[in-house]
Amino acid sequence: MVLELQKPRPVWQIMFSTHHTDVGLLYLIMSIAFLFMGGALALLIRAELFFPGAQMIADSMTFNRIFTVHGTTLIFLFLLPSASAVGNYFVPIMVRYKDMAYPKLNAIAFWMIPPGGALIWLGFADFTWYATPPYSIISAPGPAADMWIFGLKILGISSVLGAINFIVTILKCKHPDMSIGQVPLLAWSFLSSSLIVLVAIPTFAAALLMLLTDRLGVTGFFNPAMGGDPIAYAHLFWFTFHPEVYVLVIPAIGMMYEIIPRFSRKPIFSKSSGIFAFVLLAIVSFSSWAHHMYATGMSFTEKTVFMIGTLAAVPASGMHVFNFVATMWNGRIKFLTPMMWSIGGIALFFSAGAGGVANAAMPLDFTTHDTYWVVGHFHLFVMGTIAFGTIGFIYYMFPYVTGRMYNENMGKIHFILSFIGTILVFFTQHVLGLYGMPRRIFDYPAIPEWVAMNQIATVGAMIIGVSMIIFLINLIHSSAKGKPADIHDPFGLGGKYYYPFESKNPHH
Amino acid sequence: MGGHSNWPEWIYVGVIIALMFWVGAEAWNVERLVEHVPADAEVIKVTGAQWFWTFEHEDGTKEVGTLHVEAGKAYKFEIYSTDVNHSFNIHDYVVLMDAVPGRVNTVWFAPDKAGEHDIQCREYCGLIHYNMRGKLVVEEPST
Amino acid sequence: MRNLLGLFLVLAILVIIPTVDHAFAAGDEPGEYLDRRVLIWNLFFRMMTVAFTVGAVVSGTMIWLCWRFRESHPKATPTEYERSGDFGGSA
Repeated sequence: MVLELQKPRPVWQIMFSTHHTDVGLLYLIMSIAFLFMGGALALLIRAELFFPGAQMIADSMTFNRIFTVHGTTLIFLFLLPSASAVGNYFVPIMVRYKDMAYPKLNAIAFWMIPPGGALIWLGFADFTWYATPPYSIISAPGPAADMWIFGLKILGISSVLGAINFIVTILKCKHPDMSIGQVPLLAWSFLSSSLIVLVAIPTFAAALLMLLTDRLGVTGFFNPAMGGDPIAYAHLFWFTFHPEVYVLVIPAIGMMYEIIPRFSRKPIFSKSSGIFAFVLLAIVSFSSWAHHMYATGMSFTEKTVFMIGTLAAVPASGMHVFNFVATMWNGRIKFLTPMMWSIGGIALFFSAGAGGVANAAMPLDFTTHDTYWVVGHFHLFVMGTIAFGTIGFIYYMFPYVTGRMYNENMGKIHFILSFIGTILVFFTQHVLGLYGMPRRIFDYPAIPEWVAMNQIATVGAMIIGVSMIIFLINLIHSSAKGKPADIHDPFGLGGKYYYPFESKNPHH
Repeated sequence: MGGHSNWPEWIYVGVIIALMFWVGAEAWNVERLVEHVPADAEVIKVTGAQWFWTFEHEDGTKEVGTLHVEAGKAYKFEIYSTDVNHSFNIHDYVVLMDAVPGRVNTVWFAPDKAGEHDIQCREYCGLIHYNMRGKLVVEEPST
Repeated sequence: MRNLLGLFLVLAILVIIPTVDHAFAAGDEPGEYLDRRVLIWNLFFRMMTVAFTVGAVVSGTMIWLCWRFRESHPKATPTEYERSGDFGGSA
C-alpha cells in the first residue's frame, strides 16, 4: 500500500504533497507529537496532586492553564488528527479511489492544525477546555483566552473541511462496482463521524464568535451583566461536544472492526449490524447533550428527556461489543500487539459505558457531577477506548507505513503497562469522586482517603508515562532499524486482504 | 456475513433495552422524590462570589463561610451568584446545585444529626476555586 | 377477552393512582422528611450491583474467549474462512 518511509524522499516533498498517504503521515506524526506534549502536562498535574499543597507547580493559575491546555491538546490535537491520519491512509484505498476527493482541501485541512495548535500552546489559556462563561468573559486573562478562541476556530474549520472530504470520498468517489453496503466498516465509521461533525461543529463555531464579541464587550450573549445567559453557551457548547465524543469514539470502534476480524481469522460477525449501530449512534448522539447540565437548574422534564436521550445510545454501543465478541467466538486468535490493544479497549469501553449510564441517571448527578468521578469516566472513554483503539491501529498500520516491523515485545509491554496504569488512574478517580473531590482543583485538604487515592492515581499515571516512552522508542527505532516486514502478510495471519497493498496509489 | 442466525443479538439488544428502562424508571422515581420540597422548608439564600459563600437566613441573619442550621428541620437553599458560575456542594448530604449569575436555583435538604460538614465549590470559578470552601454546622434542635 | 382486558384496566387504575398519589405526597408531613442521602446512595448501590454483575458477565465472557480461542489452545483449529482465505469481510 504505502511504503512512504522506505524510499527516501526529501522532507519538503512529503510536507507539500497533497497525496492522501503523505497527508496521513503528517497527521500521524503531528498527532503523536501532541500526544506526548499533552501527556507530559497530564503527568505534571498528577505529580502536583500527589501531595496536598503546592509542590511542582507554583500557583493555581499555572495549574489551571496546564489542565486547560492538556484537555484541549489531547482532544483537538491528538484524538481528532490521529483519526484523520487513519482515515487518510485507509478510506481512499477502501473505496478504491486514487486519492481523497479533494486532495488540496485535504492538505489545507491538515495545515490549519499547526497554527491552531500554536495559538493554544502559545496562549496557554486558563478557562478549562469548556471555556466556561461568564468566567471566560469577565475574568479570564487575555490574550491567552482570545488566542484559544481563535485556535479552536481554526481547528473547527479544519475538521469541517476534513469531514466534507471524507463524506464526498466515500459517497461519490467509491468504485462504481462497489455498493455502499460493500464499503468496509472502517470507512463507514468515518462516514458517520464526518456527518456528525458537519451537523455539530457549526453550533460551536457560532458560540465561539459570540464568546469573542462578548469578551470584546461588544455583545452580551453569555454575560448576565448585559442581559445574557451563561446557560445558553452551555447548550451551544454541549450540542457540539456531546456528539463530538461520538466523533472520536466511532472511528476508534471502526479501527477495532478492522483489527479484530483479521486477528481472529474470521469475517466480522454481522457487518449490517455494525453499519446500523454506527448510523444509529450518529443520530442519537444529538439527543443527549444537556446531560452535562443537570446541575445548572434544569427542570424535571428537561432532565428526564435528556436522560432518556442518553440511555438511547446504549443499545447501539452494546451492538458493537456484541459484534466483537461474536467475531472472536470460534476464531483462532493471534494475540499480537494491535489485537491486545483492541481487546483492552473493548473491556474499558464497557466500564466507561457503565459509568456513563450511572451519570445519566439524574439523581446520581448530585454525587458525581464535577467530581473526579466524571474525570475518571470520560478518561476511560478517551484514553481507555479511543486512544487504545488508535494506538492499536498505529501498531497495525506501522508495517504498511514504514515497511518495517515494530518490536513485538516492546509493543506488548507498552500495552500491559498502559492497561494497568489506565485502570489504576481512572478507576481510582471514580472512587475519589464518590468521596467528593471536585475536579479542576490545584490543592486539596489532607483528607486521608483523598490523599491515598490521589497517590494511587499518580503512580498509575507514571506507569502510563513509562509505557509511552517505550512506545516512542519503539516507533523511532523500528521505523529506522526494524526488520523488514512482509508487506503481503506482516502479521503472519494468512488469508487475503481486501485492500490491494501492492497497487499503491501513485503519487500525482 | 454467512448464514448465521441473528436471534442471540436480538435477545442481547432486548436485555440492554430492558436494563435501560429499569435504570430510567428508578432514576426518574428517585429524582421525583428528591425534588419534592417540603412545604415547611426554611429558605436560606446562598450567594457564591469569587471565592467565598455567604448565607442569609429567613430572619435576616447573615453568615460568611460558615452556615449554622438545626437538625430535624428542612431547609431550601436559593442559590445566587454575583460574578461567575459556582456550584454549591455539601457532599456529606448529597447537596449540589450550580450558582449561575442571573438565575436562582433551588435545592433542599434536612439534616438529621448534629455535626460539622464541608461546603465546597464544585464548578470551576478561577484562581482560588480549589479553596472556595466553607463549613456547615448542624446544631441540636433549639426547642 | 375484552372483559378481561377491562378488568385489568380497572385493577390497574385502582392500584396505580393511589401509589402515585402516595409517592407524590411523600415528605409533606412536617417533621418527617425524606433523606436524600439514603435515596440517592441506595439508587447508586442498586445500579452498581447491576453494573458489576453485567460487567462480570461481559468481562468473564471476554476472558474465556481469549483463553479458549487463542492460537495456542490445544483444541484450536483453523477457522472455516482460513481455508478459502477470505476473512477480509467484503460481505
